Amino acid sequence: MKRPVFYLAGALFLLAGLLVLYRVIWLGYPVLPTAPGITWQLLIDAHIVPLQEESTLSLGLPLEHTGTMIVEERVFSGMYTFNTLKLGPNRIGIWSGSGVSRPEEITYQATILIRPRRDFIAPSSPLLSPYPPAMGPEEQQVIEKLASPWETLAPPARLQAVTAALKGAWRNQTPPGALLKAWQVLLQQHDRRDIALALLTAATLPARAVEGLRLAEEVQPAPSRWIEVWTGQAWSNLDHLTGELYQDSAPLLPLAVGGLPAFGVTGAEIADIRWIMSRRVMSQWQLHFERIIRSEHLLDRWSLFQLPRDFQDTFRILLLVPIGALMISLLRNIVGLPTFGIFMPVLMSLAFRSTGLLYGIAIFCGVLLIGFLARRFLDRFHLLLVPRLSVILTLVIACFTLLALTGNRFGLREFMAVGLIPFVILTMTIERFFVVVEEAGAKEALLTTAGSSAVSIITYGIISWEPLQLTFFVYPELILAVAALQILVGCYTGYRLSELIRFRSLGGPP
Amino acid sequence: MIFQALHRLRERGVLGMNGRNAEYIMAMNARSAYPSVDNKVETKRLAAQFGIPTPKLYYVVENHGSIASLPKVLEDHQEFAVKPAHGSGGNGIVLITAKTEKGFVTQSGRVISGEDFAYHVSSILSGIYSLGGREDMAIIEALIHPDPVFDGVSYQGVPDERVIIYRGVPVMAMVRLPTRASDGKANLHRGAIGAGIDLAGGTTLAGVHKTRLINTHPDTGNPVSGIVIPHWDELLTMAATAWEMTGLGYLGADFVLDRDSGPVLLELNARPGLAIQMANQVGLRLRLEMTDRAPAEIFSSPQARVAWAEETFGHKKK
Repeated sequence: MKRPVFYLAGALFLLAGLLVLYRVIWLGYPVLPTAPGITWQLLIDAHIVPLQEESTLSLGLPLEHTGTMIVEERVFSGMYTFNTLKLGPNRIGIWSGSGVSRPEEITYQATILIRPRRDFIAPSSPLLSPYPPAMGPEEQQVIEKLASPWETLAPPARLQAVTAALKGAWRNQTPPGALLKAWQVLLQQHDRRDIALALLTAATLPARAVEGLRLAEEVQPAPSRWIEVWTGQAWSNLDHLTGELYQDSAPLLPLAVGGLPAFGVTGAEIADIRWIMSRRVMSQWQLHFERIIRSEHLLDRWSLFQLPRDFQDTFRILLLVPIGALMISLLRNIVGLPTFGIFMPVLMSLAFRSTGLLYGIAIFCGVLLIGFLARRFLDRFHLLLVPRLSVILTLVIACFTLLALTGNRFGLREFMAVGLIPFVILTMTIERFFVVVEEAGAKEALLTTAGSSAVSIITYGIISWEPLQLTFFVYPELILAVAALQILVGCYTGYRLSELIRFRSLGGPP
Repeated sequence: MIFQALHRLRERGVLGMNGRNAEYIMAMNARSAYPSVDNKVETKRLAAQFGIPTPKLYYVVENHGSIASLPKVLEDHQEFAVKPAHGSGGNGIVLITAKTEKGFVTQSGRVISGEDFAYHVSSILSGIYSLGGREDMAIIEALIHPDPVFDGVSYQGVPDERVIIYRGVPVMAMVRLPTRASDGKANLHRGAIGAGIDLAGGTTLAGVHKTRLINTHPDTGNPVSGIVIPHWDELLTMAATAWEMTGLGYLGADFVLDRDSGPVLLELNARPGLAIQMANQVGLRLRLEMTDRAPAEIFSSPQARVAWAEETFGHKKK
């Protein structure tokens, strides 16, 4: 007899499950939307003063690759036009202006998610780079001689020899005096970066100069420089100034590699430029939010994320209201708790969101009490039903007004939010409360009030629980599963828990 | 422990609220048949067709305009009852036993002025006692003089008999005895006593007061059990006929024993309460399921169903 109902509930569960699975597996939604993810916020702030008719500013931008995901990118270019250019492994942002006369503020903002991840596909070995152009042939010979003893070593050992040399410590053997002297001369005449690159070339280690940023919360007036060295499997990062190798997991964000500068300007002057890095904890949901916005998939385009922000907040709450209704079904049909009206507790809990739970309950009980006393007083005048309800409604509004004014006087925001309590529901509750007191006694009325309050508190707890809000917002199809549960509660024909007490005289042994 | 208690209730065949609503009321009672029980005017009309006596109807107040003409209508009647046509649970019922210059004397001895009386009728019309709060009509009908059989075990008010009828078979019955706590109302919720009735013979069993089992009336001290209800078979047959009358498979019928004319149908109820199980100390589901297994031929006439019910559910003579 009940079979078709179970099929219906099962179908709803299945549909919800399939949609969630589709989102997780095909669209890569986070399984735990609320798990925090650590992101870095990069802000490049440049103040550009044009000097000529045509002026351009080029900035190395972070690149999306394994382990690094650009979640969100925002560019503010003022009068300039913005373009990106892919140059080998680099992505260069170019702001070009024609006929710009006033100084402009240009900002680039990116939210970057760093997920340290082992790379299983080894990239092909890069080519050995030539000597830096500043190095003459004789100097190249000096360096080659210095590096010749390392020829037989394995790449990591060779790299260690290079770093040692940069620190002035010679591995195994000190070079002969003349060679050492030539080295000293080199050190004085050349940039340390060029020397390090030349040494690496001589040691047959592919290397490239990098400009980028340290992942630390700081304002950097200029990008940092380091060298990436290929040791056969992966790139190692070498600080050419100290000769130290960075740790594998070193927090570095390359902006321009291969000798390209991280910023350049033509036809203008940079009055001020800053690279600002800051750490931000975002939920996985927020990280995905940006991705979903740009996605072309049907479910992504029909996602609630596409709604304007203020409407999104409404739906974060609305999607949880069915759970509140499910709670009421559970409490009424399985526990057997009496409540005033069916959905009154849900509406109350929605109002508690703005008044706060404690104030909400207090205001509700206070107004209920005042309304009840007024209703008792009015009873002697024998007013007709609708005008009588109207009087109570007016009283409720008057109470709200007084509360709001009191709240304003004493700076209690919660009191001022009183207007969001559903006054019609409160009016009907007062009437119902009075009738229940008259017909079934004060005890029954208080029990019903307690039941209603319990349901509103539970519902309030549910709809205020942020992880649940996010989960339902990311996967709105979950309300189908809630509907399935509601159907299942509707099929329950067993005893209510309260009936254990009610029928306890029948519960003895037969 | 909870599961044990649930299991025991199931074993005893106790019917819960959810089970009653889903498996009996929703399954057996067509929504279209509800007006015949929810509207007392309609119930009276149908009952007359089936030869079931109801209190004589004096007047129906259909709108506020006719309240003014009430004194004229009531001129010939010294005593009467005012009820909401769509009321339930005895709410809104006022019994008038006499008229004086000061106003109407109610059964509990209170005097209400003509103005208050008009207000009460107006309240009934605006729907505060009606199911769902819709606008209602007020019925003015003859006052019943209860049979003295329950005088020793009722405090004021009129005791009434409730019979649960399933597919035309009277499956369980109780008598509701007013107490001081219930303010003379035969309403278990307000503190009236419910005493079970042995279907075979119509003898009262022990009673239940709120949730407590009792043997004596709290106000009079007289034993509640062992009272033989007169005209019992007649009453049961009338109850059984309610099936043909309304088409409702699961309903409650409320009767009052009139001192002169015997059982009179007061009202029918498509959602009868479950407290009757406590009054009888028997689970309703047990009897409902026994009825489902009854031979088909018993459903042919009210008399056959009553005979089967008395045979099946009656307490065996010692």
